[in-house]
Amino acid sequence: MAGELWVAVMVAAAGTLLMRLLPLVWMQRRLAREDSQGGTAAMPRWLGVLGPVMIAAMLGASLVPAAGTLNAWVATAVGGCVTLLVWWKTKSLGWPVVSGVVVFGVVRFLNFVVI
Amino acid sequence: MSDQAISAGGRAWVSGVRDATPLLGGYIPVAISFGLIANQAGFSSWEAIIISLVIYAGASQFLFVGMVASGAPLWLVVVMTLLINARHLVYAPNLAPWLNGNRWWFWLMHGLTDQVFALAHTRLPALPPSERLGWFTGAMLLAWFSWVGGTALGAFVGQELTGRWPLLNDVMPFALPALFVVLLAPRFTSWLWAAALGCAIVVALLFAANGLPNMAIPVAALLGAAVFFVMQSNTRAEV
Repeated sequence: MAGELWVAVMVAAAGTLLMRLLPLVWMQRRLAREDSQGGTAAMPRWLGVLGPVMIAAMLGASLVPAAGTLNAWVATAVGGCVTLLVWWKTKSLGWPVVSGVVVFGVVRFLNFVVI
Repeated sequence: MSDQAISAGGRAWVSGVRDATPLLGGYIPVAISFGLIANQAGFSSWEAIIISLVIYAGASQFLFVGMVASGAPLWLVVVMTLLINARHLVYAPNLAPWLNGNRWWFWLMHGLTDQVFALAHTRLPALPPSERLGWFTGAMLLAWFSWVGGTALGAFVGQELTGRWPLLNDVMPFALPALFVVLLAPRFTSWLWAAALGCAIVVALLFAANGLPNMAIPVAALLGAAVFFVMQSNTRAEV
């Protein structure tokens, strides 16, 4: 990896850490100032909206299958539905992801076997 | 420190590790596919591991190696990586009421990923203050090491795995959208949120499907947020 690429990695790493850390410092100072122990201080509304819509955008972008075939799209749709169903049943993180990946794989595998 | 305090701290660590164990199902497959994809994008195995170690932010790492491989300017790569990670700005302030002034919290924020935040937001309020630091440390370290370990697995033996089972390379990346589905599903709590999130998903999907994956996330997120605020103001106006 070239020198400038290392710099890019380190800047991205430092920036990510600061984005996780600085808001904590800010909020702790704000809480101390307000002397509101145990309460949840109000966040700017736009910040609370931007978080979930960013994750939604990541989901949309990640849904496009690398293969780009009809079978890959069908596998994505079926895998996504199974992920959602298993989440609905279990309300957990691990099992829905594992189930979705397995079903996606089965649909893709069937395509290889049939064709 | 008394034996009782050490014992309580140890229990809290174990409790954190136990609570974070379900995260492995989501982290390891995605990390393996990251190791593989980073290799395919021209990064060495150790470079992929270091990226996972220091950046430690799933989706943005995929974007980082993808943009570098496509020859994008490095300043744009960094800006886009940070833009994707900007959602992390909202996490720590939400946890702040349950964190004390211990300086270790600042370093532990490196592990404040989407999933660790979701877990901590639920568990920290239920724990005694003396156990929160230990719990978070255990949960955060397990998640971090599983991510780095999964990357190493994908980077070192991923090629062999995909050589023997080529379909694996095609299947493993699906762990990423599956993970986002699980993170996003609980957010559909009203028509307002459904419209905003649905808009962001569809717009990002259309951009990415039409060969504009780098623009997909910021544009879709801004449009989704715009839908949220426009619909909210219309609802208030009607009332």
